[in-house]
Amino acid sequence: MLALEVIQGVRVVAAPEALDAARWGDQTVVLRFAADDAFAIGATDTDLTDEHAIIVGETAFVGAWLTDDELDAWVLPHIEWPLPDYRPDLAQGFVAGVPAKLWLTEGRTLLLCPAAYAHELSERLR
Amino acid sequence: MTDGRRIILDGRPIPYEDGDSVAVAMMRAGEHPQHGGTICLAGDCGNCAAAVDGVAYVRTCQTRARPGLVVRRHPAVGEPVLPAVDKMNLAGYVPAPRIRVQREEADLVVIGAGDSGVAAATNAERQGRTVTVLDAHDEMEVVAVYAGPTIIVRTRGGMLHINAREVVVATGAAELHPVCPGSSLIGLVTARAARQLHAAGVHLGVAVAIGAAPSGVPSIPLQGRLLRFEGEGRVMGVVMADEGSDRELTTACDTVILDLGNSPRDLLSRMSGDLPVTVVGPAADAFPLPECPTTGTVCPCSNVSVEDLQGVWDRGFRELELVKRASLVGTGTCQGSVCLPYVRSFIADRTGGIPDPFTARPASRQITLAEAAAGVHIDAFRRTPLHDEHIALGARMDRFGGWWRPWHYGDHVAEYWSVREAVSLGDVSTLGKLIVSGPDAVEFLERLYPTNIADIRVGRSRYALLLNERGHLMDDGMICREAESRFVLTFTSAGASHAEMWVRDWVDTLGLRVHVLDRTMSLAAINVTGPLAGQLLERVGLSEQPRFLQHVRAEVAGVPCHVMRLSFTGEMSFELHHAVERSVELWRSLMAHGHDLGIAPHGLQALQALRLEKGNVIVGMDSELDSTPRRLGMEWAVKMDKPDFIGRSALARTAQLPDDRRLVGLTMPGMAPIEGSPIWFDHEVIGHVASSFTSPVLGHAVMLGWLKRAPFPEQVEVDGRSASVVRPPFYDPEGSRARA
Repeated sequence: MLALEVIQGVRVVAAPEALDAARWGDQTVVLRFAADDAFAIGATDTDLTDEHAIIVGETAFVGAWLTDDELDAWVLPHIEWPLPDYRPDLAQGFVAGVPAKLWLTEGRTLLLCPAAYAHELSERLR
Repeated sequence: MTDGRRIILDGRPIPYEDGDSVAVAMMRAGEHPQHGGTICLAGDCGNCAAAVDGVAYVRTCQTRARPGLVVRRHPAVGEPVLPAVDKMNLAGYVPAPRIRVQREEADLVVIGAGDSGVAAATNAERQGRTVTVLDAHDEMEVVAVYAGPTIIVRTRGGMLHINAREVVVATGAAELHPVCPGSSLIGLVTARAARQLHAAGVHLGVAVAIGAAPSGVPSIPLQGRLLRFEGEGRVMGVVMADEGSDRELTTACDTVILDLGNSPRDLLSRMSGDLPVTVVGPAADAFPLPECPTTGTVCPCSNVSVEDLQGVWDRGFRELELVKRASLVGTGTCQGSVCLPYVRSFIADRTGGIPDPFTARPASRQITLAEAAAGVHIDAFRRTPLHDEHIALGARMDRFGGWWRPWHYGDHVAEYWSVREAVSLGDVSTLGKLIVSGPDAVEFLERLYPTNIADIRVGRSRYALLLNERGHLMDDGMICREAESRFVLTFTSAGASHAEMWVRDWVDTLGLRVHVLDRTMSLAAINVTGPLAGQLLERVGLSEQPRFLQHVRAEVAGVPCHVMRLSFTGEMSFELHHAVERSVELWRSLMAHGHDLGIAPHGLQALQALRLEKGNVIVGMDSELDSTPRRLGMEWAVKMDKPDFIGRSALARTAQLPDDRRLVGLTMPGMAPIEGSPIWFDHEVIGHVASSFTSPVLGHAVMLGWLKRAPFPEQVEVDGRSASVVRPPFYDPEGSRARA
């Protein structure tokens, strides 16, 4: 069964230009869920010019890093949409009927979903 | 040569040769795939369908023979035997293997590799298109075209779902079958089938040909008009009428080869609607209809005769779709491929106009449930972080509003009393939770909600309705002001997703500077409720407790919480919103510290009773799609003196209409009637019960119900008993317990 672990970080909703200009640590992986919405994995805080930004700790995602072979074997049979051609890139949609996200990089991919769906995703990708 | 290659037909091995389909192998062995009827060997009819390796309704002409294949012919009368599962003894039950699904993206898909398909593919490739050609003979059997267009293909390895930019249907034409007495005999083949059988070396015996005789196939051409086939089980002769004299002429034979004309094989295109699907070649041709049949079986799949059609016609069903529904013609194995030309001809003969073909729907071929379900996932249901705690406490979990939630923990009445008399915990993690922040946050919420926003002070909260443009209730929840320009909104569990979309849509529509973050799945929430709730929270460190409708940020049992003081149960209640990863720790601490206070968790069943005694409405259960605040008796939650909010103009308009529908409270002695019970007055049904419960604290039934006829009576009848119409709440009408 796919082992999903808690992925912690900071969730930021802010003006797109403020998010564009934000600085993050070298080890931080920033997933841009939307123009105004980012999940900075590994971050604990950020500097933003938007005084109304919503900045909160995020601990409610779980995920697993997959090799390309694991992606092919476990995930691709369960998605109905085409993967993006470029790397890195973020894809969002249903995986095996569960809302999920794929952070696709060269050679490995982070499969991410809300923790509330972790049991469903794990069982469906067996 | 067969070289020992055999299939098993009805428990008996029969040989086959290279390239044989199962149907050809059977006919080579002198057997008929079913029990009679014209054989087309093109997959158009159901006359060769049999159970293959346990799967019924398989067209054997489209199935390649392979060693050990088990074929059972369908019974002559009745349905084929389906695999049975002994529910009393599942030990030996082996479920069918999961069907794999492969998904592909394609530019242009051509269905059919005949002349027209090849021409379409070649032409498209010349124009630079990337073409995928699918053909049943290559074991790429297209069974459906859905919106997208998405093409569903059955292959040897499983199902293939192709999302195509464009589709070309080049499936050719089907050959007409005869409709006359004797058409169910063995020994009737279409001209193309005769050519196939002859090429495969299958001996046809003495063959006669009606219509154009197939070249190269030895046969005796017959002239005149086909009247009937004669024989017992097998055809032994064919009776033709001389065109000039109508004199009957009988010709003895072993096989009748039929070339009666064609019809477009357009089932897939007829299920494509307005999708980018083009039909080419014979599949697009308007072939002449056959003569209207006067007797015989029109639809061999559903066994519908000309006489049956006439009966339906005489009963007044005179449109093609109605004739189909009333007679079931065209609803069988071949989905009208055989009968549709004749039914159209039947109607044309009686009306003078040729009706369009009837609608086609997926699937065009019989597929198994496993094939239909391949790649389809049922809805995913979320678990709160306390899921395992509930299970450990003996909860019966069920699905509510997209979540698994505890219905009860074994004794819902005991859970109820722990709320009313002591302290109880409820898992309300499922509530919708949005953060709204921005310089225009107040203006936005003023326009979103029918209640006042600007006068909510920081640290205070307010109950609010969420209305649509028609003034109908969509959802409800709390508005908590955290700062001058920052709010936390809550919504119902079931309505949270829609409410989030609603909020985002209006932010975008109004063009206001507002940020929105959905925290529904990021934050857990525990409702600590009951007269001893404050005492329990003091034990775990919450000494400065918010008063009713206040909220604070504080640590509870060492866990950072957003503490909201409100009440849905009617008792003192504190909702503790906190990060999901701390939820189990907080829950266990509260349970441990409340042990001597009589703490127990409560499930939704107890909550239903608690809130009903307070007259608190559950959106979607008590409200209907067109419930306005006036109908719900909740006009107090609407501030019509505000200049604008979503639904205001509709409420202003509908306020002028008669007040003819109202949600009311009802009480009566004894046990509560079931929800949905009709409400009677003066021997007429004037409404129904939306929620009901036998109140433990009051000792009688309490209900919320709809009265849909004015003037509203004060006494009605429910479940054969007299019930009083009252104004809720039924319990603690002053709200002193919640505010304690």
